[in-house]
Amino acid sequence: MKHLITIIKGDYLQRTRSYAFLVTLAITLYMAYTFVPPVDANYTTVRIGNYVGDYNSAWIGHVTAMMTSVFLTLIGFFLINNSVKKDVETEVGMIIATTRVSNFKYLMSKVLSNFLVLLSIVSIVLFMSILVFFLRSKDFPFEITQFILPYVVVTLPSMFFVSCVAVVAEVFLGRRSVIQYILFFALFNIVMANVQMKQGTEMLTYFDPFGVKVVTLQMEDFVNAHYREEVSVASMGFVFSDEKNDLKMFVFEGIHWPFLFIVSRLAWMAFGVALVLGASRYFHRFDVKEKMRVQKKPKMIESIQTHALAKELKISSLPPITVNYGILPFIKTEVLMLFRKGPRWFWIINLGLMIALAFTPLTIAHQFLLPVLWFLQIGRLSDLVTKEKTYQVHYFTYAAYQPLKRLLPSQIIAGISLMLVLSVPLLLRYAFALQWLPMVGIVLGAIFIVLFSSTLGIVSGGKKLFEILFFAITYSNLNRIPVADYYGSMWTSLLPIAILISLTLSFVCISWVIRSYEIKHA
Amino acid sequence: MSLVIENLSKKYTKEKFGLQNYSITIEKGILGLLGPNGAGKSTLMKIIATISQPTSGSLTLDGHDLVKEPNYIRKVLGYLPQDFGVYPNLNAYEFLEYIAAMKGVGGPSLKARIEMLLEGVNLIEVAKRPIGTYSGGMKQRIGIAQALLNDPKVLIFDEPTVGLDPEERVRFRNLISDLAHDCIIILSSHIVSDIETIADEVAIMKGGLLITKGSQHDVIKKVEGKVFETLIDNSLLDEFKRTNHVVNTIRQKDKTRVRYISDQPVAESTSYQASLEDAYLFLTKATA
Repeated sequence: MKHLITIIKGDYLQRTRSYAFLVTLAITLYMAYTFVPPVDANYTTVRIGNYVGDYNSAWIGHVTAMMTSVFLTLIGFFLINNSVKKDVETEVGMIIATTRVSNFKYLMSKVLSNFLVLLSIVSIVLFMSILVFFLRSKDFPFEITQFILPYVVVTLPSMFFVSCVAVVAEVFLGRRSVIQYILFFALFNIVMANVQMKQGTEMLTYFDPFGVKVVTLQMEDFVNAHYREEVSVASMGFVFSDEKNDLKMFVFEGIHWPFLFIVSRLAWMAFGVALVLGASRYFHRFDVKEKMRVQKKPKMIESIQTHALAKELKISSLPPITVNYGILPFIKTEVLMLFRKGPRWFWIINLGLMIALAFTPLTIAHQFLLPVLWFLQIGRLSDLVTKEKTYQVHYFTYAAYQPLKRLLPSQIIAGISLMLVLSVPLLLRYAFALQWLPMVGIVLGAIFIVLFSSTLGIVSGGKKLFEILFFAITYSNLNRIPVADYYGSMWTSLLPIAILISLTLSFVCISWVIRSYEIKHA
Repeated sequence: MSLVIENLSKKYTKEKFGLQNYSITIEKGILGLLGPNGAGKSTLMKIIATISQPTSGSLTLDGHDLVKEPNYIRKVLGYLPQDFGVYPNLNAYEFLEYIAAMKGVGGPSLKARIEMLLEGVNLIEVAKRPIGTYSGGMKQRIGIAQALLNDPKVLIFDEPTVGLDPEERVRFRNLISDLAHDCIIILSSHIVSDIETIADEVAIMKGGLLITKGSQHDVIKKVEGKVFETLIDNSLLDEFKRTNHVVNTIRQKDKTRVRYISDQPVAESTSYQASLEDAYLFLTKATA
């Protein structure tokens, strides 16, 4: 047990000492602040029909706990889904594999360290929600239990469950992170559909891993009973609307936690552990490379080598060199690497979505299909400018002739080209329809997202930070949150163009300055 | 061609130095860098390769300040770092094409040049396979090939023989001997025999300082007439090590054959011809 705690502690410290953790913390804190919108804000988060709660302890405590449960599950998954992968990459796993620690114990240590990471964020969000209460609430008393209970009953089991799911996903889809993201995203949306379902029954609350359904149902009952309404729909998420004046206030007094619901929360945690137990039977125990070699290359390359006869190399006999400082060969190789990244069959999905871009109604193609298609390139974009460090090729690239002026631009150009090629069907449709604003939006969006990935990669030195934010942005896009529209699907004025250009130029400057420093201090 | 380094220092923290007031002039030929871990060999090589900047001091190639004009050396540089990697999804040919683009090498003869280099490092048969499937030694050979892509005039090899089998090590030595007529070659290694067989000059480093530099003969001269061997009881070995400068031991049943360096040999010792390894071990220990 002592050893297990040491593994968990080491893992926890390793991950909390990263930019990605700090940024996720900052984003979550900001989101926690926005979970309880100011009175004059043009959006709501939790809404029961046309009712929202007055800002008392119960409302703020429950709303922030619910929103944290949902959104930290979404963002947190990206933060924590590389704990086993890290051990594979650093080859620490090889050492672990030779110890007596069982697969289950090892995987559970990863679950617990995942949970600790999320718990740290939840604790800070809880603190923030209390702060928000004192900022926004006027005439209501502070009741600490109205904060603690929802966080303990709703949020913490969700965090534990997603910690388990992240580890299970790594066991089965360790090398296929994009597929992990897609499956998780699909799962998340199925669960959210249950949460948002009209006329929910008590039974449904037990099948809600987020644990929020029970709260929204009781809120509905409360409104119906006290205000003689027949509300049957509660909405959750950032819902933007200019019709906020129609909203009515009600005084929420907290909920009664059904015994069976609390049991169901424990059951979700137990289910998570059971999933990990099942996955531990299939865990590779860091025999990853060997398995790959055996499956794909039955003939060992080294054995071919030993039979080869080598010619003596005479430098003087090599053909003379021709100087060429252009960047086209770079772009060619960068595009080649982008193309080869990930499984080949994934291109069938890309192709399918491109065809869909050509034939689905323009609004659907632009608002929903394009962000999904672009998001599927997350694995390609996230290490676009950091792969040389990941693969330790930077010693070559940084010592090359004018690396800053030649390599960085070619990587960015390759990334933008990929995004634009994927968008061609949609661009052509807009061109034929002579709609220039959405076309500009798509082109700017492609440039923006590539520069965004480059900047975050260079600043954080890794790909996690971009992945978390890109996922959050795409989720916001699919929920039609206007502020997240970086590709012109909802633009009605030229203001977003100006904002996007300014942001993109800032990214260029930041990337340039930091990469220039990195080249001199490799 | 002359690479002049004057009072070069690299400071990591207030008290931690990678290099301290390092001065050396390097001319055409092979300079072997020897030193224990943390001696500053890789730091020096990274600074010459322009991927790390010195805290103070100057570094010039034919009078060109390399801190201000890094691209001057980059055009003629071949660099094999100690811990380099490769893009696993590219094959050897594509990877070398990519590095060639970085080095500004192109034209119709590039393909033939890459093929000859791959043949020379014995990788032509697997040139079309992804590098991700290569063994450590094969990746090392790709590293050697990339360093030679641009007809370099300054070659920096940081631990180049790591992962190479004995046959490949011999081939590598022959290769760089061939290059030495026309280039500055700086080579670091922990394996003294690698340096001993090919280096025209040797620089011994420790703790970021240059302890000595000269021809092998000059360096060996520092311990000439001081190298002895004797047989002692195993039980007396620890005491002997405490009082003498032992450079090597070979166990033989109850006794141990001890090679040591001293001005005053113990009784029943035989004098031996000093080697570069003796000099290296003596000089790096003597400054401890």
